[in-house]
Amino acid sequence: MMSLQDMTLKMSASPHLKSRRKTDWIMKQVVIALFLPLLAAIYFFGIRSLFMVIVGVASSVLFEYGFQKLRDQPIRINDYSAVITGMLIGLSVPVTAPYWTIIIGSFFAIVIIKQLPGGIGRNMFNPAVGARVMLKVFFSPWITNWVAPGADAVSTATPLESIGHFSKTVGEEVPGLWDLFLGVNLGGNIGETSKLMILLAFVYLVVRGVINMKIPLYYVGTVAVISSIYGGYSVDYMMTHVLSGTLIFAAVFMATDYTSGALTPTGQTVFAIGAGLLTIVIRIVFNFPGGVGFAILIMNALSPVIDKYLAPRIYGHKKRPKVSLAK
Amino acid sequence: MLNMKLKYKRQGAYTEERKSRTEKKSIIEAPLSEKMIYPMNMHIGKPAEPIVEVGDDVKMGQLIAEKQGFVSANIYSSVSGTVESIEEKPSMHGPHLAIVIKNDFKDTPAPALTSTQEDLTSQDKLSLIERAGIVGMGGATFPTHVKLSPPKGKAIDTLIINGAECETYSTADHRLMIESAEEIVAGIKELLTLFPIKQTYIAIESNVHDSVCALKQAIGDDERIQIKELETIYPQGAEKRLIKTLVNREVPSGGLPLDVHTIVANVSTVRAAHLAIQKGLPLMDRVTTVTGEPIKDPQNFRVRIGTPIQVLIDACGGFVEKTGKMLHGGPMMGKPITSGQVPITKGTSVISFLPKEEVKVDERTPCIKCAECLNVCPVNLQPILISNAYEQGDIDEAERLGAMDCIDCGNCSYICPANIPLLDNIRQAKTEIKARKEKSS
Ligand code: SF4
Ligand code: SF4
Repeated sequence: MMSLQDMTLKMSASPHLKSRRKTDWIMKQVVIALFLPLLAAIYFFGIRSLFMVIVGVASSVLFEYGFQKLRDQPIRINDYSAVITGMLIGLSVPVTAPYWTIIIGSFFAIVIIKQLPGGIGRNMFNPAVGARVMLKVFFSPWITNWVAPGADAVSTATPLESIGHFSKTVGEEVPGLWDLFLGVNLGGNIGETSKLMILLAFVYLVVRGVINMKIPLYYVGTVAVISSIYGGYSVDYMMTHVLSGTLIFAAVFMATDYTSGALTPTGQTVFAIGAGLLTIVIRIVFNFPGGVGFAILIMNALSPVIDKYLAPRIYGHKKRPKVSLAK
Repeated sequence: MLNMKLKYKRQGAYTEERKSRTEKKSIIEAPLSEKMIYPMNMHIGKPAEPIVEVGDDVKMGQLIAEKQGFVSANIYSSVSGTVESIEEKPSMHGPHLAIVIKNDFKDTPAPALTSTQEDLTSQDKLSLIERAGIVGMGGATFPTHVKLSPPKGKAIDTLIINGAECETYSTADHRLMIESAEEIVAGIKELLTLFPIKQTYIAIESNVHDSVCALKQAIGDDERIQIKELETIYPQGAEKRLIKTLVNREVPSGGLPLDVHTIVANVSTVRAAHLAIQKGLPLMDRVTTVTGEPIKDPQNFRVRIGTPIQVLIDACGGFVEKTGKMLHGGPMMGKPITSGQVPITKGTSVISFLPKEEVKVDERTPCIKCAECLNVCPVNLQPILISNAYEQGDIDEAERLGAMDCIDCGNCSYICPANIPLLDNIRQAKTEIKARKEKSS
């Protein structure tokens, strides 16, 4: 019979059990969720969408591998975080975008935004958001012609141009709400058109416990409330704001990013509401349709300060703890 | 189901449950051991001092070690026999002075603590609890009489009976609630005579419905006692959380439940109080679960305090696979031990054995700021920031972040997807903060 003397017993301290959800498991869930908008993209824009995402993933993973190899750092491409960034970049440009813009985006996201500050967990900004804003600013001619799906791809105006800049009504040329929701006959970045698929992805991520649902809800909710007030309680106007552009896609996949978001519970609420306010301000006041990207980047930069002042009150204490800025 | 949990601030973790192996098993008498070991540090506070000498004959229920000061507890022999030695022996806290008694298997009883049960005043009852050596039997082993001694001007109005056994493998309290419901309720009624208590709750996790039924029956139509079924979440049974959940009060940092007019007592402790007051019996035995996948036939034992663990392992039929860790306690808070000579003590509610493959250490990866450690912390700490502060040598910051308020529940380390040893770091920080305080005072 086996006895205690025949066994080597470990002495490490409690807890002695560990949850099975590791970083790579979490990241894989996001990858799975991203397949939903990818499927919609393939359906609406054709097989090139798939190749765009493949280019994004391959280049992101390669840049990460190369960087870590050159710097003699542990190779961490197995954690799937670069895969997410690559997919997000591939899904964040229109179907007409040349492949090289995706590669430049990956380089910027992985090398400049993620790896230079120290890699996973150390970046202040969301890599994919940074890449899309950078592309928008510097490579606009190649990535902003909005193409509606169909045989003879024609450039279309973004719906946001007609509701932006202090306009309070929805123009005639804007697609109907159902089209906006389903992504039918809609131009735009390939991953963002079908809000239906993004909502399914949202449900998946929430059920899996991967994202905190309050972040997308508060973000989109803030945009809805402010636009509804501004538009004189016009449901059409409000829904056009909510369903247009990157908002829902970014709210589900980008504002929920752990590293660049807030850490504390109240901080996350402030982060989401702040992103919503900034988005609507940029859209209406500056008439700048890409407001979502800037809004998230600004909140990214503010999140350490938000966390510092909104540290949770510890059980049994009267006040929030005074802490220094997270390093 | 394991992964189907929504992510929100929940002050606990849905840890895996492994109670099924023993929850349906009735409590059985553990075999008697020839050698009984009584470590002097089987409670929190000052260790007791032996009052017997080597060679002395002792009776069952005889005082063998006396409490030292207020926060300390008496120790009684749980068998009759002879004192074989008084020496250092392995205990759950490492080697410590212990009295070893050779059992004569006669169970010759010593006189009871009190000869009369009539006309006992509150003071008499409290003193019986104190003399009986009763401590928190849920695992904390804090002397019960201290918890029952409110400072002047603090009125007690709330009694919480803790039956929320949240550790992964434990079923000892669960079985006790089913099989000794009457005695537990009798104990509660005794406590109700001691203080002007306005509200009494028995807290039970919702996964153990059969114990609720047993207790309901025992309570009958006594409207003073209410059963509260709580969500099954770890650490639901932690005293501070329980008080917050049930009566929405927060024990001030560094304080006791008394500070918020509350007494929390574990179900086993209440039963022990009943036996002390009604029968004059000192604390001599308890219910302990011995379980884990490597154990052939896991059991809930009624076991005499002082019985070496090895005796219980044998009574369970030994091992069916190699074990990687033996724990005094459960997997979330238990202390690792290596010797089968470590005895069952007053706070041993469970001895768990983990399979070999479960004790491997996963590689640490960078923190991804998922905020899960914050979400599961029952006292609202930011474990990763304390851990970072400690690793950067900033002990002041660790203290400002509330390191001393950590209740050691283990949730943060359990949940962290990056395998960061959060609690290890927080413990180190606490040790350094304490060391510094002692130096400056
Ligand atoms: S320490 Fe672990 S649990 Fe806490 S935020 Fe970092 S990765 Fe998440
Ligand atoms: S910091 Fe302490 S109290 Fe909070 S989860 Fe970690 S071990 Fe539990």
